Amino acid sequence: MFGITVLKLWHKKWMNLCLILGCTLLIATTVSFPMYQAAAYDRMLRDEFDHFYAKEGSWPTGAEMTTVSKKDKTGAAISKLETFQNGFAQTLGVTEKEKIRLYTHSRMDLHSEMNRPDAGTLSLRLGAMSDLPEHVKLLAGEIYAGDPSADGVIDIVVTQGCLTAQGLLVGETLRFDAMKDAQGNPIRLRVTGVIAPQSMTDIYWQTDPEELSDVLLMDMDLFSAMFTGENAGKYTLTCKYDMLFEYADLRAPQVAYLQAQTDYLTTTSSYRSVLKLFDYPEILKEYAQKRERIFATLMILQIPVLVMLAAFLFMISGQMYEMERNEISVIKSRGSSRAQIFRLYLYQCGILTIVGALLGIPLGRVFARVLGATSSFLQFDSSRLSEVSFTRECAFYAAGAMLVTLGSMTLPAIRHSRVSIVHLKAQKAIRKKTWWEKVYLDIILIGVSIYGYYSFHRDAQKLSEHVLSGKGLDPLLYVSSSVFILGCGLLFLRLQPLFVRLLLAISGKFLRPAIYVSLRESVRNSRKQQLIMLFLILTVSLGMYHANVASTIMANAEENARYLDGADVILREVWTEKVDEEGRSTGQFVEPDYAKYASMPGVDGYTRVSYDDKAAAVTSGGNSRQAVTLMGIHTREFGSETAVSRAFLPRPYRQYLNDLAVVSDGFLASMDFHTKLGFEVGDSVTVLNRYGGSTTGKIVAFFDYFPGYAPSVVEIGPDGSAFRSDRFLLVGHYASFVRKWGTLPYEVWVDRTEGADDAAFYDWIEEKNLRLTKFTDRDRDVEDAMTDPLLQGTGGVLSMGFVVTILLCAVGYLIYWVMSIRERELTFGVLRACGLHKRELFTMLLIEQLFSGGLSIAAGIGIGKGASKLFVPILQQAYAAANQAIPMQVVTNAAALDRLYVVLALVMTVSLLVLVLLLFRMNVSKALKLGEE
Amino acid sequence: MKNVIECEKISRKFPVPGGEFYALKGIDAAVPEGCFAILKGRSGSGKTTLMNIIGTLDDPSEGRVLIDGTEIRGMSAKKREDLRRKRMGFVFQSVSLIPSLNAWQNVEFSMRMAGIKYSKERDARIEECLRRVGLWNRRNHMPAEMSGGEQQRVAIARAIAHRPGILLADEPTAELDSAMAATVTGVFQEMSRTEGITILMTTHDVGLMDAADMIIELENGERKS
Repeated sequence: MFGITVLKLWHKKWMNLCLILGCTLLIATTVSFPMYQAAAYDRMLRDEFDHFYAKEGSWPTGAEMTTVSKKDKTGAAISKLETFQNGFAQTLGVTEKEKIRLYTHSRMDLHSEMNRPDAGTLSLRLGAMSDLPEHVKLLAGEIYAGDPSADGVIDIVVTQGCLTAQGLLVGETLRFDAMKDAQGNPIRLRVTGVIAPQSMTDIYWQTDPEELSDVLLMDMDLFSAMFTGENAGKYTLTCKYDMLFEYADLRAPQVAYLQAQTDYLTTTSSYRSVLKLFDYPEILKEYAQKRERIFATLMILQIPVLVMLAAFLFMISGQMYEMERNEISVIKSRGSSRAQIFRLYLYQCGILTIVGALLGIPLGRVFARVLGATSSFLQFDSSRLSEVSFTRECAFYAAGAMLVTLGSMTLPAIRHSRVSIVHLKAQKAIRKKTWWEKVYLDIILIGVSIYGYYSFHRDAQKLSEHVLSGKGLDPLLYVSSSVFILGCGLLFLRLQPLFVRLLLAISGKFLRPAIYVSLRESVRNSRKQQLIMLFLILTVSLGMYHANVASTIMANAEENARYLDGADVILREVWTEKVDEEGRSTGQFVEPDYAKYASMPGVDGYTRVSYDDKAAAVTSGGNSRQAVTLMGIHTREFGSETAVSRAFLPRPYRQYLNDLAVVSDGFLASMDFHTKLGFEVGDSVTVLNRYGGSTTGKIVAFFDYFPGYAPSVVEIGPDGSAFRSDRFLLVGHYASFVRKWGTLPYEVWVDRTEGADDAAFYDWIEEKNLRLTKFTDRDRDVEDAMTDPLLQGTGGVLSMGFVVTILLCAVGYLIYWVMSIRERELTFGVLRACGLHKRELFTMLLIEQLFSGGLSIAAGIGIGKGASKLFVPILQQAYAAANQAIPMQVVTNAAALDRLYVVLALVMTVSLLVLVLLLFRMNVSKALKLGEE
Repeated sequence: MKNVIECEKISRKFPVPGGEFYALKGIDAAVPEGCFAILKGRSGSGKTTLMNIIGTLDDPSEGRVLIDGTEIRGMSAKKREDLRRKRMGFVFQSVSLIPSLNAWQNVEFSMRMAGIKYSKERDARIEECLRRVGLWNRRNHMPAEMSGGEQQRVAIARAIAHRPGILLADEPTAELDSAMAATVTGVFQEMSRTEGITILMTTHDVGLMDAADMIIELENGERKS
């Protein structure tokens, strides 16, 4: 049997190569998704933690335990906690980053042995911190020794704050009268050094050094020997344990275990009352929601691609069986059982599937890497190629894909193995309507999709909130567009033969022979061609639709990120507040040197902008206050450094600035001042800044959009539901604010020269040693927005899907053509024998191709455009980010569409070339001979 | 009567491994106008090869063929095709109808090929031909809906519709039962008489020889009688 199978495979090698191509692509595409997803989830997880850490400045992954070991208690509790701390990372299944132990006694009185006039009774705590020497720098003196000195004095270090606050001196000896050593002598300490954190960003400093301003720190080992273990009961001891683990090593599949263990620790374990987790459970929760959203979205986007792949295999194997019908029916007539025939094809397809898997899995890896390198629809950035790995999940997907492949190729064998030669001849004579035509599936599908369109259109805004709250893309939404495309495709298949028939009815009597036969063939073969035509229509229309979806969501994300940043770069330095002689704040600030900005490299201009997001506007006759953001600008400079697209505003952006420029106490107000608070142009508004200063001005205009201003933001409530909250913005003159309140902290908005060198700019910041509290870089933020896994995954899946389907489409179409010509060789032979010129035969096939392929492509383009027009505006809502500020616009990616047209033109040209080749190779008498066989 | 088909010393050789194979060796034959000639011979005797050469589908290796006194060799492909379209009609052993056209359309197609424009006369001729082969009542049937004999009769109607001078029929009765074969031969006989068509039909069925005006017998590529 195996021999026959191999022989059969070799006999039809071209057809089988196509089938292998189909299998390979199906398996590769299927496998690439989990591979890409795994890599994307890992990256997303790391990003989530990175963002948190960068924004909050506190290490997100870890926990803290604080407990007080009372006097007279045994040391068992402490050693239990120490064991727990040591095994914490292991319990959670993560990599340990840092563990810090801080032991302190209660405050006790002590005396200085130095005879100082200012020495009073001190009340301080004795303590120790693990691994302290590695994390501090010495400001004075030296670090403590591990053992007491010969005279029994213990070395201690103190923080700068402690030294100043307590008035200690390096070298000073202190004595605790109430604390005794093992011999019963009072404990004596010597201040050997003053310490400060080596780096303020060192995550070791989970305890703020400020909190150590009353702690005398001694060596941890010595402390443990003296006050823990069997000596634990002597004094009350506060123990603080920090346990930090590495998030960069955390992989997506570990998350579930980590969450489960965390839950156990906080709800069930005996440590739950003392354990305080860092922020990671919240971050993980958010990550899980995002992940779910990505999973759902990518899954939905992949389905049409996978369905088309399976359809391709089904179609090609259908062609194969069509070619082998005679053979099968002869085998059947000679007594082979159906099981034998089925087995023969099972082996044959099994070999193809295995070869497909062997090629497809490595190819899937490449696909997954390319997916991760997608920068836009059909655009890949090779510098972004990421590493992917083959996980167990990938194996499941591969197995599933293999089963589908095998199934779609072998199932037609069951149908065909029923047919004997007698039935075959009878079957050929019967022409029936296909099932979908009978049940009007096309009309039903279009109806369903239009219903979907209207219901989603109605709730477009709710849709984005629904998605933002982590519920993922509603499958129905995506399905609606696919259903629309499928329905229209089927409707076209129903109408196309009618159209050709009409053409024949009108002009049939006068047509030249070649055109006449081709039109008749087109009507006659319409059902046979349905699958390939539908395949073409779906490829083209889905390709167009996906190109528009991808370019729209990507362009919007980019535009939004650009808009929200307001300017190319925004810098805000640290401003120190002036204090009066008694150390009270004055509300006045020391202005950093502004002149230095003139030396910024690669800059077209810059301007001062005072930005206060904690201001308030007095409303309702002074009775209530509305939280607002208050901006102070220099209108001319601001106008030349910033811009707002004309599409978002009813009149040019600079006209608003001009309105403001002419009124010295004027304000530009966001539209909600008008719509929500009832202000009109010309009304006075009083505004209070965050320091309590107030000013009153006149509203000169209302705007919908202003650089960096989001009219509303979607927030996620504690219950996970999304809600929208309005943001109020008032823009006034910086100069008038300064006149009123003096110099207040401002930001510097910078307009960089197009294509300026980033490195030079960053070097400048470094060189000037700027201490910044705010820094935004538009290019970086845009890059961040574009590498959002959901966005990138969508672009990747759609591009990949398109490439795969167009490839299959090309192969499928060619196979169809070759088969169709081969099948009709006898007819062509007869036509040639009857005197039909080769040129006419070519015309005939060309017209046939135009009526099947050409019309299908035209229909595909039309349907794709229609679907884009209807569904892209709805679908993009689902991709709206929480910070979506500007109205979204449907963007047609002309370049992507051009690429689509080029590919299609290529497919048609290649099939025409094949046609010419086949026709010229055709020998009339041989063709006739073939017919006799 | 003038000879419509003339073959002079026709040979046709094909390259085979280790040499050449002569399918036809020095055939001389002439078929006068309006004659119903049968080309007889066993399978492999060279009937179809000779038929293909006469039908301008193939060229002889040696010798010459004249159709209506004009030598075929040296004719351009287009001229040959025009000759086949207008002057000749073909009936093949296998079913040779165009599957996408019904009986009526198949017959009409040969007239289109011959460049006969649409007219009432054209339709009348189609009806006449279909009635002559007894299939007027099946004119709307597709080839797949007809038996082999019926299809062959439609093929004959198609071959004569444009009033060709020569009808070449290669084993038209091979797949038919004897009664149907007799009917088909009868149709040919009638055609040559009523329409003056020169008919050259190959067959190995000895039972049909009586109908012929002339018999050319081939054996191993040579003319036997």
